[in-house]
Amino acid sequence: MKFSYFHLMPWTELEEAPAQWPASNAAFDPVRGKELYDNYINTMAFAEQCGFDWVGCNEHHFSPYGLMANCNLVGAALTQRTSTIKLAMLGNLIPLLNPVRVAEEYAMIDVMSGGRLVAGMIRGVPHEYIAYNIVPDESRERLREAAALIVKCWTEPEPFGWEGEYYQFPSISIWPKPMQRPHPPILMSASNEESAAFAGQHRAMMGMTLIADLDVAKRCIEVYRQAAHGAGLEPTPDHILLGYNTCIAETDEEAHAVMAEGQRYFHRVLMHSIRDAQRLVIQKSRFFDQQHGERHIQRLTTLKERSIGDMIEAGSIFCGSPESVVKQMRRVHAHLGNGRFNINMKIGNIPDTAVHRGMELFRDRVLPELKDL
Amino acid sequence: MFTEHTADLPSGPVRYLKDGSGPTILHLHPAAGPRVSPVVERLAQRHTVFMPTAPGFNATPMHASVKSMEDLAELMATFVQTVIGAKCDIVAESFGGWVAMWLAAKHPDLVEHLVLQGPAGLRDPGTGGVPADPEGRMRALYSKPELAPPETRSAEVLSATQRARDAYVGDVAFDAELSKALPRIKARTLVVMGTKDTVAPLVVAHRIMAGVPNAHLSFIYGAAHALEFDAPSRVGPLIAKFLERGEAFVVRTPDAA
Repeated sequence: MKFSYFHLMPWTELEEAPAQWPASNAAFDPVRGKELYDNYINTMAFAEQCGFDWVGCNEHHFSPYGLMANCNLVGAALTQRTSTIKLAMLGNLIPLLNPVRVAEEYAMIDVMSGGRLVAGMIRGVPHEYIAYNIVPDESRERLREAAALIVKCWTEPEPFGWEGEYYQFPSISIWPKPMQRPHPPILMSASNEESAAFAGQHRAMMGMTLIADLDVAKRCIEVYRQAAHGAGLEPTPDHILLGYNTCIAETDEEAHAVMAEGQRYFHRVLMHSIRDAQRLVIQKSRFFDQQHGERHIQRLTTLKERSIGDMIEAGSIFCGSPESVVKQMRRVHAHLGNGRFNINMKIGNIPDTAVHRGMELFRDRVLPELKDL
Repeated sequence: MFTEHTADLPSGPVRYLKDGSGPTILHLHPAAGPRVSPVVERLAQRHTVFMPTAPGFNATPMHASVKSMEDLAELMATFVQTVIGAKCDIVAESFGGWVAMWLAAKHPDLVEHLVLQGPAGLRDPGTGGVPADPEGRMRALYSKPELAPPETRSAEVLSATQRARDAYVGDVAFDAELSKALPRIKARTLVVMGTKDTVAPLVVAHRIMAGVPNAHLSFIYGAAHALEFDAPSRVGPLIAKFLERGEAFVVRTPDAA
């Protein structure tokens, strides 16, 4: 089993939930922002010393949910703070961005890190399409074309032009090209059957988050496997990354209490206006087909309303003493056959001291039990 | 409206279609034979377009002295000199691209701009090519089969066209002499490839880029081999811009999408 340390870089200082989306930034304090960035980057670099294989960054906009508007900037910082851990950009929301710029920035991270980039090519969550004013209905086809263009930027030996449906560039020749050949590994999200099929068709690694039901997750993985097989890839467990909010403390009681407080801030403050914006996009566009849209909303609602115990039981989170978390991880692995967990320990406003202690417990008492799984 | 004409050249008659006004384009057809595509119609709005039929295609008479792709290129050079009468642009598809490369290499003074769409003649043996079975052929040529032009020719005419193609090409996939001749092409060259083209593999474009001194490669995302029918809304403007603006075609204009 391999582990990725994932961070959302949340803003932790709000008393009340933003009234609407996008969240007002009137309360943003840049001095506190500097402190948070320092703490968060230190924590992410510390993941290398704790035995994590990857450190994961991500992109979100217009919200205290996450301060990584461009995760490549954090990835670049981590190239200078780490030496062996893979830098997983999970990732750039490529339908929203200039694909050539993404190809360039990813190549920079890969070269600067000595070939440690994992390149996430992510469609993103629905409300991000309001932020960058991209038609949500076009998200899937934009993702398909942008992914093809980025790979072409990395692999084409001569300058070339691109005449696409959504992107037109008369002459491209990026400098630098990536260090990894033929190109860095690609990861795509696969949190529903539609996206799982898409990831498989692209022979990418798959990443799944917000697991509300292990059997539904299992079905997605099966869809991914079948699609990948059809595209000529036989996925191994290493191709399957499962994202988990995780809290590890000395005892189950302490971990449950810390997680409950962090989850409260996460759902009550950070997710509040996002849920409304997501619902708006899902209902007023074809971002999802109707079936997947309703399932997405239902899944968010389910995850919000469950107790810590119910979430552990459903296989949605890992929480407890090191020994309990080992059992929980073994159970999910036995059910889903994944080779990677992507764990987020900074949930909501959980104190950084608790996060660091959890990382140490992971290093000393969880990883030794699971590294040969 | 394209009208049909016949040029009496020293080696024999050459049938051709002509339309439009303005700077001249020689359009060289693919192995399927000459067809007026939406791209050609667009080009004819601002250019004079000549579309000669290679002898033997569409049941026209073969010329006894024209036996190879190199001979065919010489014949088309004669067409340019005697029918068009001046240096011109060449827009070529697949089989026609093979002819066009030889023409541009042997008569650089006759060619202003050269556009090669999925050119033949430089693929490795055993790779690419047009599948023999009709379904495979349709998939290889069109990502959007509904855009394929209707076939109105008789079985006899199609058979004659196939025989003519075989007479010129034989079983050659890679023309080694042409490969060596690529550096002699002086025309500003645009190579256009569909990202789903399985007939002309990507290595063909790379060989041209490596060999032709002034070449530019453009990919048509999602398109298969028969570019003029499969992606006319992107291929047409690209070629028109290249021909009209030369090296400045990479500079975006205010009216561009």
